[in-house]
Amino acid sequence: MTANIARGSLPSTARKPWGRFSSLSPSWVFALPALLVYAAVVLYPSLAGMVYAFTDWSGIGEDKSFVGLANLTAMLHDEQAMGSIGNTLLLTVTIVAVQNGVGLLLALGVHVKLRSRAVLRVVFFAPVVVSPVMVAFLWKYIYNPDPAAGLNGLLGTHIDWLGDPSLALWSIAGTVVWQYAGYSMVIFLAGLEGIPPELHEAAMIDGAGTWQRFRYVTWPLLAPSLTINLMLSTIGGLKLFDQVFAATNGGPGYATETLSTVLYKQAFVFGKFGYSTAIALVLALFVAAVSMVQLYYLRNREVAQ
Amino acid sequence: MKRTFLLEIVMVAVAVAFLFPVYALITLSLKDPAQIAHSPLSLPAPPTLDNFDKAWTAAALGPSLVNSTVITVVSLVALVALGSFAAYYLARAQSRMGYGLYILFLLGIVLPFQLGMIPLYQLVSDLGLIGSHAGMIVFYTGIQLPFTVFLYTGFIRALPRDYASAAQIDGASHFTAFTKVVFPLLRPITGTVLILNAVFIWNDFFTPLLYLGGSGFETIPVSVFAFVGQYVSDHGLVFAGLVLGALPVVVAFLLLQRYVIKGFASGLKG
Amino acid sequence: MTDLREARMSRAQFFRMMGGLAAAAAATAACSTKPQTTTAQGQQTATQLKFVGVADQKAAMDQLVAAYKQVKPGVSLTTTFAPTDQVQTSVRTQLGAGNAPDLHVVYPGDGSAMSMSQIAKAGLLADLSDQAWTQTIPTGFKPAFQNDGKTYMYSAGSSVIGAVYNTKAFQKAGIDAPPTTWTEFLAVCDKLKKAGITPIALGAQTPWVTQLITYALVPSTVYAKDPTFDDKQRAGQTSFAQSGWRQAMEMYLELQKRGFFNDNPNGTTFEQQTSMVATGKAAMAIQVSAVLPDFRKSATSPSDLSMFPVPGADSADQVWIPAGVVVGLGASAKGKNLAEAKAFIDFLGKQENINLWAKAISAIPLTQDASSTIDPAVQSFLPFTKDRAVPFMDQRWPNAEVQPVHFAVVQELLAGKIKIDDALKKMDEAYAK
Repeated sequence: MTANIARGSLPSTARKPWGRFSSLSPSWVFALPALLVYAAVVLYPSLAGMVYAFTDWSGIGEDKSFVGLANLTAMLHDEQAMGSIGNTLLLTVTIVAVQNGVGLLLALGVHVKLRSRAVLRVVFFAPVVVSPVMVAFLWKYIYNPDPAAGLNGLLGTHIDWLGDPSLALWSIAGTVVWQYAGYSMVIFLAGLEGIPPELHEAAMIDGAGTWQRFRYVTWPLLAPSLTINLMLSTIGGLKLFDQVFAATNGGPGYATETLSTVLYKQAFVFGKFGYSTAIALVLALFVAAVSMVQLYYLRNREVAQ
Repeated sequence: MKRTFLLEIVMVAVAVAFLFPVYALITLSLKDPAQIAHSPLSLPAPPTLDNFDKAWTAAALGPSLVNSTVITVVSLVALVALGSFAAYYLARAQSRMGYGLYILFLLGIVLPFQLGMIPLYQLVSDLGLIGSHAGMIVFYTGIQLPFTVFLYTGFIRALPRDYASAAQIDGASHFTAFTKVVFPLLRPITGTVLILNAVFIWNDFFTPLLYLGGSGFETIPVSVFAFVGQYVSDHGLVFAGLVLGALPVVVAFLLLQRYVIKGFASGLKG
Repeated sequence: MTDLREARMSRAQFFRMMGGLAAAAAATAACSTKPQTTTAQGQQTATQLKFVGVADQKAAMDQLVAAYKQVKPGVSLTTTFAPTDQVQTSVRTQLGAGNAPDLHVVYPGDGSAMSMSQIAKAGLLADLSDQAWTQTIPTGFKPAFQNDGKTYMYSAGSSVIGAVYNTKAFQKAGIDAPPTTWTEFLAVCDKLKKAGITPIALGAQTPWVTQLITYALVPSTVYAKDPTFDDKQRAGQTSFAQSGWRQAMEMYLELQKRGFFNDNPNGTTFEQQTSMVATGKAAMAIQVSAVLPDFRKSATSPSDLSMFPVPGADSADQVWIPAGVVVGLGASAKGKNLAEAKAFIDFLGKQENINLWAKAISAIPLTQDASSTIDPAVQSFLPFTKDRAVPFMDQRWPNAEVQPVHFAVVQELLAGKIKIDDALKKMDEAYAK
């Protein structure tokens, strides 16, 4: 599928002779119902909402005035907002790397014809279907500092998983990885299943070892799955809110504050809706820019291979 | 053979470690408070279903189950119909407009939902859909369309064009070609679309609170969290509530699970 | 455009293909119409009132809604309860879009996004001043209920902050009576620690819990010395850094330094704090009396738990206590059924209903009569409530930023990341915003 998402934006589409088969292309009317609902629920409200980014509205009442770019410049001097950018990036990079690393290993493991592989696939994917808030609630108990209960009880350790400011962010990343490694696994698995077994057999005849076969056969052909995995986990990481909010609410202190928790607090705790919208706008532009760069780079890589 | 066996042992061990939080969740929900305090990690001895009994009654999950099911099922039908339909055009269109529309849909994956929250609430309220199932269904259809279109478009692009073309040469319209030939081929990705959207819609807590709060139409997560808020300190009871709330979607997943992997797999082959 | 025509003609076909799913949808869509609520006579359609509140209000509201049904069968009240943060988000969104539920949770005084003053100032709360019960609000509590002399909020009474303690744990350590001075308090903690019991359980992972120890001490270290502190602070004549707040923070950290808290308070949640005290693993928790029911639910016997005022000073007559109006509710000024919503609040204002609500959350009823009951656990606070009690500090803070900053700096202090000077400076900065 990734191959195609990628192809959709590739010049290759443009190179096709549109005119020739145009009668074979369905009419745009097919997209109309979806477009109408999507425009009403997502596009129009988001556009209308963006206007608040340039006002000083508290979020309630009639009192608001236009302040131009003041909210955006205020953000540059906001210690908390700027600090949260660092946390957001750190969390995203960690999640993207570990979730996809673990997901790839799991996929390679369950791709082999093990007797238990059907069960294993279900087990690894199962956390995906449980609500993130519920997972955060459960993990708050798992991360209990009590040495007799939860993870400490299992490992025989005495670690303050969520209470230690230098550890809390990593603990949250652990929860996210636990929940979504199975998601990455499924996408990689799909890629693995698309690789013709003959390629491996040929490489084996040529005397290639396990690592060489992975490096020169499997890895290049996994490129489309890698693209989709990296993009989805990056977008998810940058927008991450539920897990952080339910686990630590940004604390202890400001140790796990992310852009999403800061913009939430500005809007609904501090009553600075205008400013919060400005942060949301910056977040949206940032996510869009990162995704576009990623897509461009990864697509070129796919083509090169 | 020996290596496969070794790998099997390693993978099973990883799976067991992976299941630890689930073990904690389920064993705690089967213990009374005294057992939880004294032996939090051991197997429940003897296990008790009191927590489940109490959670089911206190959280009044019966009516919420109906509301959640109605909203989820109808939204899924709308998503599959609108999403696959739009994707058929987006995947087959060879014009700039087709590509532009596709990017427009993808934009929806990127936008933070907070941006449009107040204008959308105003809109839904002007339409008189606050406190109704219809409002929620429209909301979920709109908000999940980008992801649905994204999955379907990728899959349809990977399908050989010949099927639909052949049908058209026989004089069928695009619509008939789609419903008769293409849609049945979409079964694997439809499984993926159904389960991933069902997970999101079923588990969403904030939107039903916002649009259905005080209407008497609570969904499962809203009931469960009202209950959790009330019994915060009784972990056994709270976990029993969480298990009950998650159960329907877990069961649905177990029934559909083979489509999830297949859907992704067939889409990627292209 | 042939596609469109075709589309119209074969829509039925399309649905047939969707098979069972579509049938299920059609069947269920039928149930999604609003339930028809009719009066007992079945004549006119009933008024439906919506209420959205926080989880702590559920126990009391469930009883009162049921009682109201008896009094006024023509009005049906549907309620939703959720954790504070989520309710705050959804009600603020609804208020922002100009369409709030008929009745919703309101926090007393000022200082939070859902507080009476902030919402009333935006013109979104209905004026309740013409209701009889508003005439009896005790003078000291008026700032919690009123903005510019008009009443905008209903609350059933007040709760206190003090030490919730496990009487069996105290007995085990050989402590016969609760302490009445700070020195005695430290001695009690010491005795408990030597008996192998954690003296004070602190669940600072849960943000709102972080503030309670400072709140318990500040009445003695600040207001006992200067009851007009709030006004002076608003006028810019004093600050957190220049006041007894510094002493309160020092006392807070002294408890930590002496090892009187459980290990890792920043990783311990309110729920864990509760169960530690309820099971006797810890002896005390500095908490608000409104959560006494939570402690009792997890204890083997509810009578194991009681409360005493935290003595924040070394002479007993200098000890003051925090007593604040409990979270209440208001009517949306723009509600379609405003008259009915106000009528329900008027019903809540009746003495027997004030009594009922107060009892459900161990609060001291707003006004009292012969049938009012006061939880035995808070009896020891009553001598203070007349002239040695101050409202919870945030209710007089000018904006909603000071309180979250207070939460964050306490966690940072407990983690040893900052000094008291930095903490007070950050709070003063937030206050000035």
